[in-house]
Formats: sequence, C-alpha cells, structure tokens
Amino acid sequence: MAIFARAEDVYAAIGALFEWGSQDGELGPKIGESGLTIRFVYHRPDAEITVDAKAVPPEGRHFTVHCGPSDLKADVTMEMDSDIAHTFWFGKMNLMTALARGQMKAVGPIQSILKLLPAIKPAYRKYPEIARSLGLPGGEA
Amino acid sequence: MEFTEFRVTTRVVAGWDLAASLDVELSQAGLERGLVVTDPGVRPLAERLLSASHRLIGLHDAITPNSEVGQVERLAERARDAGAGFLLAVGGGSVIDTAKAAAIVLTEGGRLLDHQGVNVLARPLFPVAAVPTTAGTGSEVTCYAVIRDGDAAAKVIFTSEWLPPVLAILDPALTLGLPPALTASTGMDALTHAVEAYLSNRAGPFSDALALAALETIYRHLPPAVRDGSDREARWHLLISSCQAGMAISWAMLGCAHALAHACGGLRQVPHGVANAILLPHCLAYNRPAVEARWWTLADVMGADPVKGVAALARRIGLPERLREVGVAESDLGPLAEAAILDGSIFTNPREATVEELAQILRAAY
Repeated sequence: MAIFARAEDVYAAIGALFEWGSQDGELGPKIGESGLTIRFVYHRPDAEITVDAKAVPPEGRHFTVHCGPSDLKADVTMEMDSDIAHTFWFGKMNLMTALARGQMKAVGPIQSILKLLPAIKPAYRKYPEIARSLGLPGGEA
Repeated sequence: MEFTEFRVTTRVVAGWDLAASLDVELSQAGLERGLVVTDPGVRPLAERLLSASHRLIGLHDAITPNSEVGQVERLAERARDAGAGFLLAVGGGSVIDTAKAAAIVLTEGGRLLDHQGVNVLARPLFPVAAVPTTAGTGSEVTCYAVIRDGDAAAKVIFTSEWLPPVLAILDPALTLGLPPALTASTGMDALTHAVEAYLSNRAGPFSDALALAALETIYRHLPPAVRDGSDREARWHLLISSCQAGMAISWAMLGCAHALAHACGGLRQVPHGVANAILLPHCLAYNRPAVEARWWTLADVMGADPVKGVAALARRIGLPERLREVGVAESDLGPLAEAAILDGSIFTNPREATVEELAQILRAAY
C-alpha cells in the first residue's frame, strides 16, 4: 500500500520538510546560497514541489517552497515515486544507488544536486519526526 | 548484501583480425549505412575498414582526446546529413564516448547538454558499434560517456542504460602498433577501473569477479605489452581484461582516483590514464582504512602491497609519478579538489571524502 494517498499528503510531509528547511539555520543557508531552482516531481500520487533559491525569499526564510505545479524554470528536476521520496528522507536510501537502480531520474546538471547532499543531512533527522507526527510508517527501503 | 544487479547489453566478439571481416559482424547485428568515427591518428586504419566494407558510407575523423561538446554535436550533424544508420567508433575512449554521446543527440535532438542527468534517456539510442584500438576505457561496453564542456572547463558524465554500444568488436591486432606510452597510460586506466570497481561501495559479486580477473591480468600483462608492442599474448589479454573492467564499472562504478582524474582532465587536460596512474596509489592509501578485508584480496591478486604494487608498476612502464610533471600547478590543487567532490565517481568511493581530504591526496600526488 502506498505511503501517501493524495498529493496533499505528500505536501503535508515532504512539503513540510522543505518548509522547515527553509527556516533552519543549518540547512537553509546552504540551499539558499546555491541559487538553484530545484523541482521535485512525484508520482503515485502525482505531486510537485519546487524549491526556489533564486528569488528573494520571504522574511525569515532562506528559500521559497512551492507545493503544487509551478511555472518556474528549474535548473534541476528530480523525479521519483512518492514512496521512494519518503524512504529517501528517512535516510534509508543512497542517492547514487537509487539513480543507478532507476528509482530516481535527475534532469539537468546532477553535480549541482550532489553538491547539496552534505548540506541536507539535518533533514534526515527532521523527516522521521514529521512522518511520525502524521502517523506515516517508517520508510522501509 | 541486500541487493545486487548486473547487466551487459553489448554483444562482445573477440578474435584476431576480426576487423577484417567486419561486415559479417555488422550484418549479424543488422547494422547498415555506418559512419566511421575516428581520430586523425587512427584514420589510416579506419580508411582500410571503410574500403573493405559494404556497410559503411563515410568517415569522420575530427575527434580529439578529451573530446568536447561541440565535437559531439558536429558529429551528430554529419551523421544526420549523411543519412547514417549507425556510428562505427574506431579508436580509443574519446572516440567511442563521442560516438555514444552523438547517439543521444541523434535520438533526442537538441543540444547535448540538454540531456544532462541520470535516467533522462528513456528509449534505445541511435546504434553505435565500437572497435577499440586501445586497451583502456572499456567504453565499448560501459553505460557512460565522458565529454569535456570547454565553457565550464569540466567533464560532463552521461549515464544511461541505453548508452552501451550494441556491438563491440575486440581485435587485438589493432592494438599491436600502439606506442608504449599510450599502451602504458590506457592500461593504467583499465587497471584503475578494476581496482576502483572492486573497492567501490557498490561492488557486487558479478562486478567483483570481472574486476579481479581484469586486475590480475592487466597487472601481469601490461609491462610486457609496453616493452614489446608486438607481444600478441599480452595484447590479447589486455584487450579482453580492459573490456572486463569496463563491464565491472558499469555496475560498481568508480572511486576517488577517477573523480580526481576527471577534474585534472577537465581543468588541465591531463591524459586520463596518466592522471589515474599518478593518483591511484595515493587514493589506495587513503581508502585503506575503509576496505581492510578487500585490501588483502587485492594484495593477494597483485602479489604485492597494493600501494607499492601500483606505484612500482606505473614506474616500471615509464609513466610520470607526480602531478607537477603533467601540467598541474600547485594553485590548481584547491579547485581540483572542489571539482572532484562533485564528480559522480566520488559517491561510490568506499570512504566518504571531504574536499580537504581530496586536497591532501592531491598534495601527496603533486
């Protein structure tokens, strides 16, 4: 059974993680300084989250998060099943292995995403908290 | 181990003077109207193949070492204009990678860099057949194509399950005339593939078997091939084992030696095999704490301490031992480390490296 039933469930979990990251003092500045627009396209259920580190963010945030379709031009697009994203943010999936196994698709200069990998480590601690608060299962790989 | 996978999608045929009966293999693969892709150094051989074949229609020899995006796009345009049905890459890694990258443009259209990414390509590509004339990259079977982006002074790696050529023709007769220096550098590239595939954090039982077989063979046969280019036994084994190492890296991928070598090639155009030969001993020493069990297998296969064994081999076959000897400046070391940390090969290195650690490796190799 899928972890998420509707796009709104994806936004409540993964969208909330990005919203948290945009205000986090450790993760936020590193993504904010990248100057990238990164789109995450999810399937089963279909959902879309765009992280915009190009535009000036709202007060108190390091970047802007758009949940839902966006017209912004992305530098890099990451595409995967919503369940895969859930497992990834639990810290239970290696990005390179997921790419090699075809579980994720990366469109654009992948180096710019790889550069951010060390910066997102705090999110692996935060996401299980968010998932637990929503009653979601534990991100089995 | 929770998961492993392996695939080789290329039909590989190997034999002495096989290139002379090229049409038999092309016919069996259903390949017609091929454009031969090569470099000026290999052109005489490519011309011989062209004149002996009824399945080839022309020749494009404008490929250089560390080939660039523009060369790929010009090749695609030439193939399109000629109405080619496939590309026959005759040459070393740059030639084969250029043909593979051109197949992306020929299939998907647009500019090459539009197709950057992983798993971006979703369908079979314009067919490529490969006739390697060096025993090094294994590009004739790998799912990678490495192309230099001159504007960014960096190498861009294209990865896809659709990138391996449909056919690889291994004819060791074509490598008999390879000069000693090129034999040495390409051989060290293949040896580095074998070592890094075996130590990769994605290594699996299938890639292990191929990597160790290739390592043992290259380690034994590279010096005689450099010493006497007409040594048929050494040439045969090197061509087969470089292909095996290519198969191994297609799944297991690589490590920090390749990440750093790609950076050196991108910034200073250091020949890839030479960069690997210089860097591998230092990368092995760095990785040792993370690979203790596998270290002893390497030592057993090589019959020597791996660091000392690789360094001694490189010295014995006459390759440079220091980055300063190959055009790298001391002021490049920081930017090289910054570039290498973003290279895809770094993520399968057995030890998670930092920029500072990569800079230390570079300083040790400088």
